[in-house]
Amino acid sequence: MIHQYKNNGYNIVLDVNSGMIHVVDDVAYDIIALFDKLRDTKTHMVSEKDKETIVAEIFNKYNKPEYAELFEIEPGNYDEMKSAIQESILDVEQLVKDGALFTEDIYENYINEFKNRETVVKALCLHIAHDCNLACRYCFAEEGEYHGHRELMSYEVGKRALDFLIANSGNRRNLEVDFFGGEPLMNFEVVKELVKYGREQEKLHNKKFRFTLTTNGILLDNEVEEFLNKEMSNVVLSIDGRKEVNDLMRPSRNGKGSYDIIIPKFIKLAEDRNQTNYYVRGTFTRNNLDFSEDVKHFAELGFKQISVEPVVSLPEESYSIREEDIPKICQEYDKLAKYMLKKKKEGKDFNFFHFMIDLSGGPCVAKRLSGCGSGTEYLAVTPWGDFYPCHQFVGETEYLMGNVYEGIKRTDLREDFKQCNVYSKEKCKKCFARFYCSGGCAANSYKFQGQIDDTYDIGCELQRKRVECAIMLKAAEAVGEE
Amino acid sequence: MKRIKTLNTRNLKDTMKKGGCGECQTSCQSACKTSCTVGNQSCENK
Repeated sequence: MIHQYKNNGYNIVLDVNSGMIHVVDDVAYDIIALFDKLRDTKTHMVSEKDKETIVAEIFNKYNKPEYAELFEIEPGNYDEMKSAIQESILDVEQLVKDGALFTEDIYENYINEFKNRETVVKALCLHIAHDCNLACRYCFAEEGEYHGHRELMSYEVGKRALDFLIANSGNRRNLEVDFFGGEPLMNFEVVKELVKYGREQEKLHNKKFRFTLTTNGILLDNEVEEFLNKEMSNVVLSIDGRKEVNDLMRPSRNGKGSYDIIIPKFIKLAEDRNQTNYYVRGTFTRNNLDFSEDVKHFAELGFKQISVEPVVSLPEESYSIREEDIPKICQEYDKLAKYMLKKKKEGKDFNFFHFMIDLSGGPCVAKRLSGCGSGTEYLAVTPWGDFYPCHQFVGETEYLMGNVYEGIKRTDLREDFKQCNVYSKEKCKKCFARFYCSGGCAANSYKFQGQIDDTYDIGCELQRKRVECAIMLKAAEAVGEE
Repeated sequence: MKRIKTLNTRNLKDTMKKGGCGECQTSCQSACKTSCTVGNQSCENK
């Protein structure tokens, strides 16, 4: 399976199953498309007769004076054009022989074996505070309460969660703990105590805790920042972008905007972290479909690590992304990608989380195909110690999996989540982006389809567009280096 | 190849041999919390 597309003047051919990416000119682009149509489904090669067909079709399209330059021939010298086409067909054949084009999906059995391994837990999302000092309109946590009541996690519950993680992590060394909420800084003392406890325990058990924290910044001060910079491997700073955009959706409980309070603190924290290991992280909604302006706003403020992501909310909400918004959002992604290239040329580059892609050192295929890990290696813990498959399921009582005192009781649910991967979803099997999203988000699937092994279709459309932009940026980088 | 430039990409098939150690970051912990993005993460078992 291949995916061919044109973006920002680049012709790109993605060989889906090998992950190989080819940047090609117009002629090769057309040859590959014809080759794909005519190739034998087993050998993936074309017959001599088919080669003649390809030569004829390409020749018919390009034997015009305006294309002579493309073939580096004098106008009218069409024999040379035919030889050039034949040469390119041989190049395509070579890519097939090298396992870089039309490769088969050979991973299904491999992933099933992989998924049948013993489950270990390696990441927890600690809901350190089911309370919040903002009242964001789109909050899936319902202003921190998650369909429940306000509560802060006690040190005892948190400690038991860390003990559970260590005890169930098998031979995994890197363990992740995200302090999440609500607003985790509303329970900062417990955060500090748990980090201290974790640091003691990691030495005893030969583990390495990677602590992260997601905050709205209201309670951020110098003391908190110093602690975060010392202990947190990543900090996520929630802010939506331009002042008017942020303040519309992220008001305080008395209705005032939060932008002016948080922005100086976020700028300082980013600088103090040397512009690494953090994200300013915004949500865009139907109210700001021109979200590339919000990314630009962050870039202009000097932020280097930026993430602005589409809201995931049900259609009845007025701010929800609708199917009809997809073309506009795709345009914005294109606009943003071009802006990033421009800034890079100016030496003012920045990262946009959803366009980041590691082609040469990215994750193995097992990681890429086996799902996000929710309900298996990743669990959310409520302030009172209940386990849910992830932070987005918290409060959905049918997904209550156990607790820090008794461990996982609903092993049936764990099995359901374990089986959740790209091969359990028909739509993923046909999607070129499946190696970049791992089958998507189970919580989104549940929210929109009522089951965990389906897809959230608007999210998929946007994901595909982001993958295309991310690859285009890599193509531009590679071609620019020549 | 005159008309084709292949980017420096790790062939996914090759990652079957040593892959699956599980030491890499959980996708949802990085920034998203609302989607699943794995392509941008780095392998910790090179």
